[in-house]
Amino acid sequence: MDPEFRGDIDHHDGTSDATPGGYTEQRRPGELSFAIFLTLASLFLLYTAYGISGFKALSSPGSVPMATTLVMVVSALIVTIRTSRLNKVAHETLSKDILPVMVILFIGFLVIFGLLLKPLGFVLTAALFLIIAIKVLARKGWGYTLTVALVSLVVIWIIFRVVFTVLLPVGILPEAEFIQFFRNLMSGGAS
Amino acid sequence: METLMAIFTIFTQPQLLLLVGVGTFAGIYIGAIPGLSVTMAVSILISFTFSWDVYPAISLMVGIYMGGVYGGSRTAILLNIPGAPSAIATAMDGYPMAQKGEAGQAIGVTTVMSFFGGLIGIFVLAVAAPFVADFAITFQPRDYMLLAVLGILLVGSLSSGSLVKGIFAGALGIAIGAVGRDPLTFTERFTFDLRLMEGGISFIAVMIGMFGVSEALQQLQNVNMKAVRQKIDRIMPSFGTVKKYLPLSLQTSSIGVIIGALPGTGGDIAALMAYDHAKRITKKPKVPFGKGAMEGLVAPETANNAAVGGAFIPMMTLGIPGDAVTAIMIGALFIHGLNPGPMLMVDQPDMFWFIVGALLMANVFMLIFGLTGIKIFTKIVEMPRSVIIPLILLLSIVGAYAVNNSITDVYWMLGFGVFGYFMRHYGYPLGPVILGVILSRLLDDNWRRAIISEREDLGSFFEGIITSPLSLTLFIAVILIFVSQTSIWTFAKNRLFGKAS
Repeated sequence: MDPEFRGDIDHHDGTSDATPGGYTEQRRPGELSFAIFLTLASLFLLYTAYGISGFKALSSPGSVPMATTLVMVVSALIVTIRTSRLNKVAHETLSKDILPVMVILFIGFLVIFGLLLKPLGFVLTAALFLIIAIKVLARKGWGYTLTVALVSLVVIWIIFRVVFTVLLPVGILPEAEFIQFFRNLMSGGAS
Repeated sequence: METLMAIFTIFTQPQLLLLVGVGTFAGIYIGAIPGLSVTMAVSILISFTFSWDVYPAISLMVGIYMGGVYGGSRTAILLNIPGAPSAIATAMDGYPMAQKGEAGQAIGVTTVMSFFGGLIGIFVLAVAAPFVADFAITFQPRDYMLLAVLGILLVGSLSSGSLVKGIFAGALGIAIGAVGRDPLTFTERFTFDLRLMEGGISFIAVMIGMFGVSEALQQLQNVNMKAVRQKIDRIMPSFGTVKKYLPLSLQTSSIGVIIGALPGTGGDIAALMAYDHAKRITKKPKVPFGKGAMEGLVAPETANNAAVGGAFIPMMTLGIPGDAVTAIMIGALFIHGLNPGPMLMVDQPDMFWFIVGALLMANVFMLIFGLTGIKIFTKIVEMPRSVIIPLILLLSIVGAYAVNNSITDVYWMLGFGVFGYFMRHYGYPLGPVILGVILSRLLDDNWRRAIISEREDLGSFFEGIITSPLSLTLFIAVILIFVSQTSIWTFAKNRLFGKAS
């Protein structure tokens, strides 16, 4: 094994803070645009921070935000300049290595999840999400997909709703009645 | 003496003992399953345990932390995939050992050595923390400010990426933490006149986004990675083996505690440094490094578990997190109404001793679970990623929602998840962001306190720094980190040491 190998398959994934992703000597696709975006965003934030209280006093509420956004602007600018000098990684493309269709698809799924969570309720939304996500990722038959998705949903629901007593949006499913039914069943069995 | 008895709280309450055990057990698996990380697990767990009492919540999280740091080594050895960042160095020699059919022995040695390292870390924590806390009471606001800056800078500089990117990440974190109404003057900051932003951004949403969602999105790219199964023989290492590596493990444990105790750096950095240290001092390894050297296993494993105890020192005494996981633990303590810092040690010393006891117990559980149940283990770890990834995403959403029962938090989490995803790809470390968010209040408050007490005079502020030995040391450390990254430093180093090498 290569002693320089650290982490996952291409060792650029940045799972660790000891070895953040990226290449040090080369520029990945989209890296320069990201750096430029960060610079512009930081500039905007600096402008906003100036708007908080201006240069009134060193102890004003805007002083630390202004200092930090200034640091952001300067460091983002340095990163942009350094990145622009590097050569591009030869074998990588934006659509294959940085933002594959699958990632975009999943971001979309999550946005839809958020939209449906309140109206449909947690159980239905989660079931829908798990079934579609596992079907797309595992590419196996419906039997496998439905079994895995529903079994894990039941486990998660029991752990969070019953053990951790987390409140989740109920939506259109008569969840409370269902829990009550179970409680009645349990107490009926006990007495 | 009475407060010391709080160490034993954990042993007298079977419920807490059980929670530590469950936590450690879960932690080992969370750490071992590639794609699940301790940081992720603890940040998601905060939102689920926040209605609990403090003790049970902390018990569970301490167990997960301890187990998780160790658990990563298993998959590193068996599958060549470090389950957790702190096990990256372990894979370098652990996997070659497994290929030679010595997987059992490798796991045995790692377990015993992790236990040993963990023990040293906890011991140092118990001995050093009260002194540090006593000392910390004398800290001025400016010292806290400098410490916070130092912590954020250290993560960036000790990791192998670029310091400038680390600095950017840290500053971004501080800015995120400043969003909302300023607690001192009630002025709106970065709210863009939106009512939604007035309360600030929930730091749990930021954490779950950065460590849960972004990692899950990243893992989508290696969904179909196949794992190779290894044969496992006897696990219990012989007494002779343990004795042989005792001197090395003492040294690497010390590295672990120190790196762990530095604000901002944790187990992953400690493990890599210990690995380098072992490589340097082992003159004639029986097997070369990178080909299955036992030293290459012992060093990172003792160091990363020792770093756990170390990381709790600045967290409990100064309120400054030792690494990303302790940053999240601080968040958990905040939520339970505790305020980590020197006053915690004065007001609620039993809390501190309780945590020491919980850590100790988690370490023992780690040894027990580590030496048993390998057969089931290999089965569970082979759980396909096509199932794990959707589950992580689901848990992230539930976690972000559950804290405030708000959909807005879910969108914040998604936003930071996508942003963190790009940061990972382009080599921006995520640790400083979380550290920044957690330390934002502390930094801001202390800066303003310091400058108000100097009557808004920068001159006397710097005079204060130069005349106080502590402030001066911290200030020089901050400057040194900057200088060490510039070409002047490289030039000076070459001039000074160039001829020797």
